[in-house]
Amino acid sequence: MSDIPRRITLAQWDLQYEQLQKAGTYQPDYGGPLSRHLNDGDQRLLKLRFDNSAAALRLWNFLLTEEDRLRDARAAGKKLIGTMKDLGTVPVMAYSFDNLVAFYPDGAWWIPCVMELSAGLLSIADSLGIDESFCPVRAMLGAFVTGAHFPLPDRLICSVGATCDDFSAIAQRLEGLGHSIFFWEIPHRRKAEPGEEAVNLPGGFSAPKCQVEFVESELQRIKTALEETAGEKLDEDKLSAGIKKANQVRTYLAELRRLAFAAELCPIPALEMLIAEMLAIHFCSDRQETIEVLKELLEEVKARVKAGIGVLDADAAKIFWINPVADLQVMNLLEDCGGRICGTEYLFTHALDAIPENIPALEALAQMALADPMVGSSTERAQRICADIHRFGAEAVLISRIPGASHCALEGEVISEIVQDNFDIPVLEIEVPPVIDSMRPTVRTRLEALVETIKARRTR
Amino acid sequence: MKTIIYTCPYVPAEWIAAHGLRPSRIIPDAAGATGPLGRSEGVCPFVQGFISEVLTDKKAGGIVVTTVCDQMRRAYDILVRRCDVPLFLMNVPNTWQNVTVQKLYIDELKRLGRFLIGLGGTSPSDDALARIMLDYDTARTSILIVGGYLPARQYAETIAAFGKDGPGEMRNNITLPAQQIEGMPLAILGGPLMRRDFDIFDIVEQAGGHIVLDATETGQRGMCAPFDRLGLRDKPLLELAGAYFCGIQDASRRPNSGLYKWLKCRLTDTAPRGIIFHRYVWCDMWHAELQRLKDWTDLPVLDIDTAGNNQTAKQRTTNRIRAFLETLQ
Ligand code: SF4
Ligand code: SF4
Repeated sequence: MSDIPRRITLAQWDLQYEQLQKAGTYQPDYGGPLSRHLNDGDQRLLKLRFDNSAAALRLWNFLLTEEDRLRDARAAGKKLIGTMKDLGTVPVMAYSFDNLVAFYPDGAWWIPCVMELSAGLLSIADSLGIDESFCPVRAMLGAFVTGAHFPLPDRLICSVGATCDDFSAIAQRLEGLGHSIFFWEIPHRRKAEPGEEAVNLPGGFSAPKCQVEFVESELQRIKTALEETAGEKLDEDKLSAGIKKANQVRTYLAELRRLAFAAELCPIPALEMLIAEMLAIHFCSDRQETIEVLKELLEEVKARVKAGIGVLDADAAKIFWINPVADLQVMNLLEDCGGRICGTEYLFTHALDAIPENIPALEALAQMALADPMVGSSTERAQRICADIHRFGAEAVLISRIPGASHCALEGEVISEIVQDNFDIPVLEIEVPPVIDSMRPTVRTRLEALVETIKARRTR
Repeated sequence: MKTIIYTCPYVPAEWIAAHGLRPSRIIPDAAGATGPLGRSEGVCPFVQGFISEVLTDKKAGGIVVTTVCDQMRRAYDILVRRCDVPLFLMNVPNTWQNVTVQKLYIDELKRLGRFLIGLGGTSPSDDALARIMLDYDTARTSILIVGGYLPARQYAETIAAFGKDGPGEMRNNITLPAQQIEGMPLAILGGPLMRRDFDIFDIVEQAGGHIVLDATETGQRGMCAPFDRLGLRDKPLLELAGAYFCGIQDASRRPNSGLYKWLKCRLTDTAPRGIIFHRYVWCDMWHAELQRLKDWTDLPVLDIDTAGNNQTAKQRTTNRIRAFLETLQ
C-alpha cells in the first residue's frame, strides 16, 4: 500500500514520483512522471487532484498513453478497429482475434476537457456543421480530420438504432466525409409480450428471445467483417476465451465498485474510479494490461479498506452519480464540496456486468448488447439506478446533463420522478460542459447546497 | 370505431385500417406548452408538440410512437407516465440493407397488429388488406398527380388531410387553381413541419417564390412508394412493408445515401433554383445533414432553424426567405 491516501496536485505527484523511483517501485514501460503529459497538451491535468498511490499513477499513465499504444500496434502489423457507440460489446469480440486491436474513437469526448479546448477539435466539428447543439462527442469528428489523436482505424463499426441521435448523426457525417462505416442495428429493448419467450439479461433487464436472436445475427455479420479484416477465423473457443478475459476485467471492477462505494471510508477518489470504469469499455487498447492495472488498483483499495483509511472525511455526503462528466474536474469538485460517490451509472453499466459463460459466445454477447441501459427505456434505466441506490445506500442523486445530448433532454425527468417515487432523497440535475471554468462558482454552489441538504437531513 | 393516432411516416395507415380501426396521422399545431415536460431545453419542438397534442387528444383510442429518432423514443417514456391511452412503441430500424432488418420491420407490424387486436381490432385477411391498400394507393397517386398544379400550402394540407382522415372523399375535394402557379421554383427539405410552420409556404409565395418540391416528412417525402399490383395481390403485407420501409427515405437511415438518391431524382424532375432546409432546433438528425447537403448540391441552400412557436422567429424566417429569393432573382 502507498502512503496515507490523499488527493494531490500534479506538482505534488512529481515529488511523489521521485520518491517512488527511489523506493524502486515497479513502473511499466509506459510509466513516468504524470507531468510529462503536459507536453502532449493535456493542460487539464494541472487543475486536477489525483490519488497518490502508485496504482493510480499506473492507471493515469495507462490512460494517457493510449495513442502511443495504438501507433505501436499498427507498426507491429496489427489492424485497428474503431468500435463506435456500443460501449463494450464489439471490443470483446475484436480482442478475441490475435491481430486486432479495438479502440473507441468516441473517447475523443474528453479531449476538449483534457486539452482545455486547445486541440481545436470542436472548431473543426463546427466547421463541418456539427456545432455545440450536439454532445461533446462531436470532438471525434475533429480527431478524424486531424488524425492527431488516434491513428485512423482499418475498420469502423458503429451501432445505430436504439442509440442517441448525437452519435448516429455524427457517425453519418463522418461516413459522408468518406470514412466507410459498418453500421449494425441494436433494436430498442422491450419486454417479452404474452406468448413470447423472455430472456433474463445480465444486469437484471429482460428481453424477448427474438430480440436476442436478432442481435446475435447482427453480431454474426460483425464477426464476418472482423474475420475479413483480420484474415483470421474466430472460432467459438477463441471468442469464449475473449469473454473470459473481459470477465476478469469486469470482476475486478465489480469488486472495486463495491469497495469504493460501500466502504465506511471512501478508499479511492471518484476520478480514478471513473477512469477505471471506462477501461471496461475497450480495455484502453491493451486488454492484458487493463487487467494488471485494475488488479493493482484493487489491491491498493483493499489494503486501504482493511487499514480503515480513505481519501475523504468519514461524514462525506453519499451521492449517486448519473452520466459521465464532460469536465473531469467536476469529480474533484464534488469531493471538495464534501461529497462522495456512492454508486454510478455512466451510460455503460452493461460493460461492467459479467458476460454469461454458459451459453454460446455470440448469444452471450447479444445478451450483453441488449443489456445496455441506453437501448431500453429511461424507466428501466431508472429502475436499475434505484436498485443500486439501495445497494450502496446513496443519500442523493446527481444527474449530470451532457450538453446537447439527445437522451438528456427527456430522461432526467423520468429518472428523477422514479427515484423520488422510490426514495425520499434529493435529486439534482446540473449541466457539465467540457470545461466548467466559467461556471465553476455556480456548479460549486449547487454541489455545496446538495451536500448541506444531505447532512441536514441526517439530523432530522 | 377507435382512432389510432401516430405521426411517424413509417407507420402504415393501411395496416391500422385493415384491422378495422381508424388511423389518424397527427401533425402538431406548434411546439405547445412545456407543461407536460418539466422543461423544454434540448427537446425537439416537434417532439414537444407531439407530446402536447397527444396528451390533449380526447378521441384517441390508441397511440403509436416509433423509434426512428432518440427523442421520439424517449417521448414514449414520458407519454407512458402521463397518458392513460394504450401506447405502442414500434421499433423501426435505422439500417435497411439487410433482409434481417426488413424482417424485423415486418415482425414489428405483426406485433402492432396484435396491439390493434387488443384494442378491439380484427386480424385482416390478405384480401381485405389488399383492398384497403389499393384504396390508399389510388388516393396517394391522385395527390401526387395534382401536386404539381396546387399551391404548395394546399398540397401540404391535402397530404395532411389524407394522413389524418384517410382516402375517403378526399380525392373529389381537391380543387385545382384556375391559373398556373408562377414564381421562383424552390424545394423545401427537412423533417416534419408542424401546422403553424405551413405558413412558410405563404411566406415563400408572398416573396415571389413557389415550392415545387415538398421534401419534408409531412410532404411528399413522407409518402410511401407506390404498391406493385402483383405483390399487392399475392403477399400484401410484404408489399406494404417494402413500400414503407424501403420506400420512405429519411435522414435517420444508416447510411442515409438513399435520401440523397431520392432527392437527386426529385430535384431533376422539379428543377428548383434553391433549397430551403427546414429543421427544428435540437434535431440532430437533420441538423447534421445541413452542411453535407451544402457540399452535395450546387443549388443555394437556405437554412431555416426554428423553435416552432414564436412570432419573432416567424419574422426572422420571413426576412431570410425574402433575402434568399432576392439573391436568386
Ligand atoms: S454522451 Fe450521450 S449523447 Fe453523447 S455520445 Fe454518449 S450517449 Fe450519445
Ligand atoms: S424533427 Fe428530428 S428530433 Fe424531432 S422528431 Fe423528427 S427526427 Fe426526431
